[in-house]
Amino acid sequence: MHVQADSTLRRLTSRSEFEQFSATATDKWNSIWGSTNTVVTVGVGSSSMAKGAEKVLEAAAEFALPKTGVIVRKTGVDGADWMEVQVSVRRPGAPLVYYGNVLPEEIGDVIEGRLESKAIGVDGDQPFNGVQPLRNHPFYKYQQRIVMRDIGVIDPDSIEEAIARGAYSAYFKVLFDMSVEDAIAEMTAANLRGRGGAGFPAGIKWESGRKAKAHPKYIICNSHEGEPNVYKDRRIHEGDPHRILEGLLIAAVVVGAERAYNYIGGEYPLAIKRFRKAVADAERLGLIGKNVLGSGKNVAFRVRTGGGAYICGEGSALMYSVMGVRGMPRTKPPRSVEEGVWKRPTVANNTETMANVRDIINNGGAWFASIGTEKSAGTKLMTVQGPLKTMGLVEVPMGITLRTLIDEVWGGMRDGYKFKGVQTGGVSAGPLKEEHLDLPVDFDSLTHVGGMLGSGGFVVFDESISAIDFARYLTAFNRIESCSKCVPCARGNPALVEIIDRIRLGRGTRADLPMMRRTSKHVIELSLCGLGQVAPMPLLGMMDQFPEEWEAAVTNNTGTTLWLTPRQEHVLSTDTSTTAPAAD
Amino acid sequence: VSQVVDPQHVEGSDIDLDVVREMLSHFTYSDFEEAQELILSALQEVNEHFGWVSLEAAKVVADHFGTTDNRVYGLLTFYADFRTEPRGKHFMLVCHGMSCYVMGSQKLVDELEQKYGIRDGGTTADGELTVQVVNGCLGVCDKAPIVKLDADFQTELTVEKFNQVLQQAIANGGGWRHH
Repeated sequence: MHVQADSTLRRLTSRSEFEQFSATATDKWNSIWGSTNTVVTVGVGSSSMAKGAEKVLEAAAEFALPKTGVIVRKTGVDGADWMEVQVSVRRPGAPLVYYGNVLPEEIGDVIEGRLESKAIGVDGDQPFNGVQPLRNHPFYKYQQRIVMRDIGVIDPDSIEEAIARGAYSAYFKVLFDMSVEDAIAEMTAANLRGRGGAGFPAGIKWESGRKAKAHPKYIICNSHEGEPNVYKDRRIHEGDPHRILEGLLIAAVVVGAERAYNYIGGEYPLAIKRFRKAVADAERLGLIGKNVLGSGKNVAFRVRTGGGAYICGEGSALMYSVMGVRGMPRTKPPRSVEEGVWKRPTVANNTETMANVRDIINNGGAWFASIGTEKSAGTKLMTVQGPLKTMGLVEVPMGITLRTLIDEVWGGMRDGYKFKGVQTGGVSAGPLKEEHLDLPVDFDSLTHVGGMLGSGGFVVFDESISAIDFARYLTAFNRIESCSKCVPCARGNPALVEIIDRIRLGRGTRADLPMMRRTSKHVIELSLCGLGQVAPMPLLGMMDQFPEEWEAAVTNNTGTTLWLTPRQEHVLSTDTSTTAPAAD
Repeated sequence: VSQVVDPQHVEGSDIDLDVVREMLSHFTYSDFEEAQELILSALQEVNEHFGWVSLEAAKVVADHFGTTDNRVYGLLTFYADFRTEPRGKHFMLVCHGMSCYVMGSQKLVDELEQKYGIRDGGTTADGELTVQVVNGCLGVCDKAPIVKLDADFQTELTVEKFNQVLQQAIANGGGWRHH
């Protein structure tokens, strides 16, 4: 995919030229919102495009064409999936009004204020014409937006709009006004823990990257996001790519890296396209390259894309994928900060981690640490799946409870669905039940009950879902995504699926339950990488939280009460002695 | 349940190697490392354009980047996005992320197997439809379960609606190449 930079951009060669560019961009931004314009904004991202956002945008542009003073803009999607296609209209003398579920044929009426039944909220603190402030809506009320501040606000394809809203201000600070030691000190003070799920402090990673003596060094951003339960990173790419890019460039300067990479999952064409555009524009503007803004600093940048292998989210596999080979993890040590991409010291961070860097550098580590909980500072992007009413991506302070998230932010269960549990940590942890919902959501609080924050994707499931069947789905995912390099994972996961299938078909015995635990133990203890070491966790969680279902299934041999048709070919053998090795 | 057959007869599934070479001409590199890094991106472009990557096309890619056919074919068979067989006339991604699972995507996967005789990666015997089950998430979770059929998302599917959508697409002609 070859993306052209904006041809009107000229290379900036000094700090004053950047300041000038920034001032002009700000003026331009303010003129959009000048008092006599009607400003129509359509949220266009991969989720809203599935609901016709591009047609709404086209219809809006067509409507505005013969009129003067009507400006039509596009932005990314602000996370409120339940409102999509979302359109906001700012008429002269009125606050911004947000409309939800807009159809292309309705756009004229929406723009001219004849379809107020679709208004969801207004900007600011005061109601307007009977429409309540959007920020009072439960979906928005608990949110504190740092990473998502400009998502749904700026045009992601416009570096000017990004800069008008403060993009590259922290990069500028690190280039000219702040020592790298101070930058690392702020990052460490912020206690920004890795947002990909592991929760390792980014400041410490950067420090060890900086201390590594071999050159060249690299920075890599893990934007693979191959989990079946989360869609946050692609939304940042689609809505505010410059924020990620800025975090990476700052990391490169601070660590002393010659080059930064962003590895994006190949499944997200729009995220890749918009991010490539951001890189092309930043390069043209001279924010990437040699002697950036006359500072004497050089940073090179490369975008690399994956090919749909979940395992490539694992650090070493990701680096192999960047190097153009099969993404199969290796044993550690050496850690990637010693030997990473091309055997060079490499600092790897998650997208959301990188997206927090700008505000930490600008506002200080202490400010960031004051948000959230003591051990899990800051905010977290969280997504939900399942039968809930107001679904979407939110950014909330760490420490919020699952109950608040599920019942208020995400609107509670849809009519006709009864809450059974919530799967946490993607395919790497277990489910939580009603009694756990008052636990705070952060890196540490969910683990002692078998849950996990992970990358922040929660899957609510209802009474119609059998724990045994869900366990099969989750284990089968890990079976398919195993890279097959090491035997415990490559053979253990199929064995687990086989035993679950036996139980599902009503042919299980009581001996199958301890056998699954033994096999799980082997997979967990003997697998080479992080995927294998957690692969049986969802199964164990489903067994721990819903033991009565498993007991019943193996006692009565009724099989699971599913809508699923049993597929016999998955049962390779009913002879239990061949499915898993005997214990010890 | 019909048998999956070689859909070579599907119109337009041949790969013009000159077009591949033209695509590759945009992938310039300055050293060995950069060349290696670009292989996956190049394969993705070929796969997107033709719907698959043939052994011959893989050889052209290998030549361009100074590596072996085996190495390139090894990538094609490791990464789930690549196909080493042509796509049928219509191409469908069935999202099997957790939202879609909870809302019933397994029923769609089962329907494909039982009614159309195809599993993940398969093509129907008549070459009309190729299906790929997405083991990730397509990100339209509030409208689950969903599929992407050719260029269009189909949302909130039941088995009945799913069949309707498929029959409609097949009756309408067209296909993924026309988008």
